Amino acid sequence: MERIPGSGVRSGNCRDNKQEISVEIFQIGEEIRRLMTENLLQEAPRPETGSSFTALLGLPENQAMELLNSPESYDSPAILTADIWRERGKDQKTLSYPFNCSPTFPSNAALVERAARFSIFAAAQNSPQTSSVPSNSSENSLKLKNETTDSESNPTILNKNQISLKRKERQKKGLAKKSKNMGDESSKLPYVHVRARRGHATDSHSLAERARREKINARMKLLQELVPGCSKISGTALVLDEIINHVQSLQREVEFLSMRLAAVNSRIDFNLDSLLAAESGSLTDGNFPGMVMPSMWPDVPVNGTRRQQHHNQHQQLWHVDVGRDNHNFISQPNSLFSYDSTN
Amino acid sequence: MCSRSSLEQEFFKKWVPGLQICSSLAKDMSFLERRKAIKLSADVAMATARDGKTCWSRALIANASKQEDKKIIVRTILGSEFERLTKSSIGSVVCEKRVRSKKILRKSCTTIRRVRKIRKSAPNRVLASSIAKRLVKKRTQVMKGLVPGGESMDEFSLLEETLDYIVSLRAQVDVMRRLANTLVLSIP
Repeated sequence: MERIPGSGVRSGNCRDNKQEISVEIFQIGEEIRRLMTENLLQEAPRPETGSSFTALLGLPENQAMELLNSPESYDSPAILTADIWRERGKDQKTLSYPFNCSPTFPSNAALVERAARFSIFAAAQNSPQTSSVPSNSSENSLKLKNETTDSESNPTILNKNQISLKRKERQKKGLAKKSKNMGDESSKLPYVHVRARRGHATDSHSLAERARREKINARMKLLQELVPGCSKISGTALVLDEIINHVQSLQREVEFLSMRLAAVNSRIDFNLDSLLAAESGSLTDGNFPGMVMPSMWPDVPVNGTRRQQHHNQHQQLWHVDVGRDNHNFISQPNSLFSYDSTN
Repeated sequence: MCSRSSLEQEFFKKWVPGLQICSSLAKDMSFLERRKAIKLSADVAMATARDGKTCWSRALIANASKQEDKKIIVRTILGSEFERLTKSSIGSVVCEKRVRSKKILRKSCTTIRRVRKIRKSAPNRVLASSIAKRLVKKRTQVMKGLVPGGESMDEFSLLEETLDYIVSLRAQVDVMRRLANTLVLSIP
């Protein structure tokens, strides 16, 4: 198979297919090369894979390690990758670090692949339209970084065959899917840019199937987090059971509360809701103070001077608040009698 | 979450006129009817707070506006948006019918396929997975019955709608509970 000298050809392929992104890639590539040659002499090579890899992502170390160790967490990478790519636009300096650690490069490739996969799926989960472009560019630039590091760091000939093979496979599938992705950016459907993993089926049907499954799994994760007590349960059927129970219990509560309100309604007129509306607008934490409620009934003997004060305050609010049915309230002394009569 | 309290506030603002209508109509209604009216007003207010973005809200409004006697409640709550929202919900109803007929076709095909498959599947692994699939399918059916308008959704959108529906239900329960508590407290 053609090896590293083909890196130029490969990036050429990118260019043939995708004009905008490839221009960007090339610019980034040039930057990288320049920075690398600059910093190759200055920076000391870092021994650990972890630190170099984190620098590659532009993340702080602990977050990147988390990314690596927990492939199931889709939520945080989404935010992180979005942030990364925003920062990336600002400063290119962070790219300079990893390219000096040539002996650690082979493991980097695997890690990079995994991280790229996270960014894909995370991008697929949240706002795929906006993040599809960053995820695209992220994969491309990651690929390109691999290529450039490979070309520059000649001493690392270990496992280069493996890496190039992987990359070929990746790129083949990546390019195939990329065209679809670019075309459908404007569409509403979230197209997931999926890579064929090594040893898995690579025809389009199973890829699409896998993408669909990943989407559904991501949604199930969100639901699990939402429903209390669901995160410990494994298995789709049981989780769905819990969700169903939760929804049913919520619906039953709504019925029960409406029954309570109907019972209360028989004794109190709902014109006082205007007051509540005024109050809730001001209250962020909406625990309706009990003192608000009974204060505005002029006829009913109200106990406590505090309520009288509120009554004076709120009378202005009444007329201001409800736009539509004001005349209802002005005529409300009649309807207030419902309180007296049914007591 | 700030979005949650804003959702609650919006729901409450939309609900208040509905409650007023309920109370004005309350004289001639029995207790059960009153309860149903209140529940309906709450549900419609919740759906309106979503402003027609989600499928379940549109389906809910469509169902509510189908019945003539409840239409007035819906109309007051929706106010100016009544026309816009009911029109879009009618469209979704039409889609439902189309989807339903497609589903009948698909079901007939899958039953044929399933009969063939059962005869073939001797290995236990395949059997276990098919059992699991059947369980999940049953539960998705149940969920489709729970979420309003769930019949015409595929799995993925069903999950999304359920997510949204749960959040809105929680907000609704919160507001209703608080209102009920304060009303009960205010009676000396």
